[in-house]
Amino acid sequence: MSVFWLRTAAALYSCGLLYALIYVFRKSTRLFTPALIAFGAGTLFQFVAIVERWVESGRLPLNNFYETSSLCALLIAALFLLAYSYYRVAVLSVCLFPLVFFMTLIGATEFPVGGWSSQQARSVWLLIHISTVLIGYAALILAAVASLYYLQQERRLKRKSLNPTSSRLPPLATLDRVITQSMNMGFVFITIGTATGVIWAFIDSGTRWILDPEIGFFLFTWAFYLLMIFLRVSAGWRGRRMAWLAVSVLGCSVVTWAAHFSLRSLWLR
Amino acid sequence: MRLALAGVNHSTAPVELREKLAFRLEEIPDALRAVQAKGAREALILSTCNRVEIAAALEEDVAADLLVEGIVGAGRGLTSDQVWPHLYLFEQGEAIRHVFRVASSLDSMIVGEPQILGQLKQAMRQARDQGAIGSLLDAVLRGAFATAKRVRTETEIGQNAVSVSYAAVELAREIFGSLNKKRVLIVGAGKMSEGAVRHLVHAGVAQILIANRTPERANGLARLFQGQAVAFDALPQRLAEVDIVIASAAAPGYILTRDLVRRAIELRKNQPMFLIDIAVPRNIDPEVNNLEHAFLYDMDDLQRLTERNREGRRQSAEHAENIVAEEVARLEARLRERDLVPTIVGLQDQLEAIRREVLERYRSRMGSLTADQEEMLDALTRSLIGKIAHGPISEIRRHAAAYTGDPAHGSEVVSAVRRMFKLDAEP
Repeated sequence: MSVFWLRTAAALYSCGLLYALIYVFRKSTRLFTPALIAFGAGTLFQFVAIVERWVESGRLPLNNFYETSSLCALLIAALFLLAYSYYRVAVLSVCLFPLVFFMTLIGATEFPVGGWSSQQARSVWLLIHISTVLIGYAALILAAVASLYYLQQERRLKRKSLNPTSSRLPPLATLDRVITQSMNMGFVFITIGTATGVIWAFIDSGTRWILDPEIGFFLFTWAFYLLMIFLRVSAGWRGRRMAWLAVSVLGCSVVTWAAHFSLRSLWLR
Repeated sequence: MRLALAGVNHSTAPVELREKLAFRLEEIPDALRAVQAKGAREALILSTCNRVEIAAALEEDVAADLLVEGIVGAGRGLTSDQVWPHLYLFEQGEAIRHVFRVASSLDSMIVGEPQILGQLKQAMRQARDQGAIGSLLDAVLRGAFATAKRVRTETEIGQNAVSVSYAAVELAREIFGSLNKKRVLIVGAGKMSEGAVRHLVHAGVAQILIANRTPERANGLARLFQGQAVAFDALPQRLAEVDIVIASAAAPGYILTRDLVRRAIELRKNQPMFLIDIAVPRNIDPEVNNLEHAFLYDMDDLQRLTERNREGRRQSAEHAENIVAEEVARLEARLRERDLVPTIVGLQDQLEAIRREVLERYRSRMGSLTADQEEMLDALTRSLIGKIAHGPISEIRRHAAAYTGDPAHGSEVVSAVRRMFKLDAEP
């Protein structure tokens, strides 16, 4: 039964994730209260799930990666709710809602499900995963290219070395907008891609998926991305720092891609 | 008497030095008096963002060093060793030529910009109020204004003059793209900022805030451009609202410090800010440019950016230089001739006196004459002295017209005439 509560909790946490994705774009806190309620309910269900496991097994459920991930997510969620009740730090939710969702999602994949209902469902699911991730990467590459232009243009303006003949770079503010918008879009698509990917891998290969190094890299890239979006939203990072971050996230993604292709062939050898 | 001029400008001295040497408006009367006390007959001080110059009429035996002292004396805490390498000193024709070039905006940081003429006129008014303008400076300045007018109408130098403000607007576009919805703060409502506001309004900025120490002037500009006057003390609070700052206030220290701008950028959530400092001494701490999201440009930076436009104006400038050379030659000839006028008039007076004396002596012995005869006698004597004077006078004039710039030129002819006709003898 406990895995059912956990999956319910993950489903409720996904409302929080949705809110975070919308907030990144619209900066609107209108949906915060419903998201917070869903998040609180999710925390409650997760608590129930973990206590049940504890009672069943007679010891704290920290036996494997899944259980640790789930318990860790519960602690983060509880601490956030506590901090929020004292300090009203709603902006932290942009980072923590997605994080808690993913950690719980990973925790909920401890017990393999029966497999795909049909081969078609498997292909469609995979297609969604691949296409969202690809769109996310495309947006990320756009952001990184715009970032390189941004860094160059900013350098020219700071050094006052504007050579009129080479002045064909777009204005700084335009580049900043391009970076921000494509980073946001990339984040949304890569998050959806990550969620679908985790679920797909879980259904497809049971509990073995977590050992796949490419998934490890991918989750790391995503976490880095999440951190960056959080810095922009909360600390107002933009401009030069944002540009450097965009370039580094792309660098991280390149490692993920390398993990997809070369590492796999390397391992198979 | 001769004209001498000493000074520094944007091409000989960096802004750090110019801002130390610049005279504030209220300091100029005292400085003029000081220069006159040291022996200058007439004096003029021109102090703008781009130049600090003292021009003076000096007696032949007074050394031009006193002008240099006048400039160095203005530099608070500067030694003459620090100023000397940046100074220029012109005398005679070179000085006249320099004044003409300055008035025609040929020596400006942005060649062809129109503000310098107004600044020169103001300098003249100030000097006149001090009684420091005499016949020489008056003639030179008149010549300078006439030359400037000719240059403006006969060449295209003013038409494609790209002002500082225009360069600033171009830079703003490099940062913000479209200037719609951008807000501008003007610190110091001087002539310079008025030009900048005009360009920005033309580029479509949304709102203009104007802060000035004298609220009347701020209100005036605000009315003119449908802007909003801001109290000078409210600057720190209002700074975060604006995207572009143009500072041209006359103030001894920095108005916008690094901390002030840093806080404003934080409040703006790191949206970029473009700050233009066209004031000398500067209004904005140069350190501000090291802040992320802040882009600070001062006068010297803008000059480098406008260098490209200078290239296109070279041809007009050449034409303008020819006009200046012509006008300088004309004024010099006139000045020289004016120097000779006392000799010519003296010669004519002397001969006339001799004529009257001789005529009077012999007239009484002639008995009665008819009116016609009287007239004839008068005409005869007049014609006689006229013919005698013709030789020396035309010789003097010929020398004046062929003036080469040598101060001793023609003086031997003059002194010979004066000796021959005893013009310097006591009556």
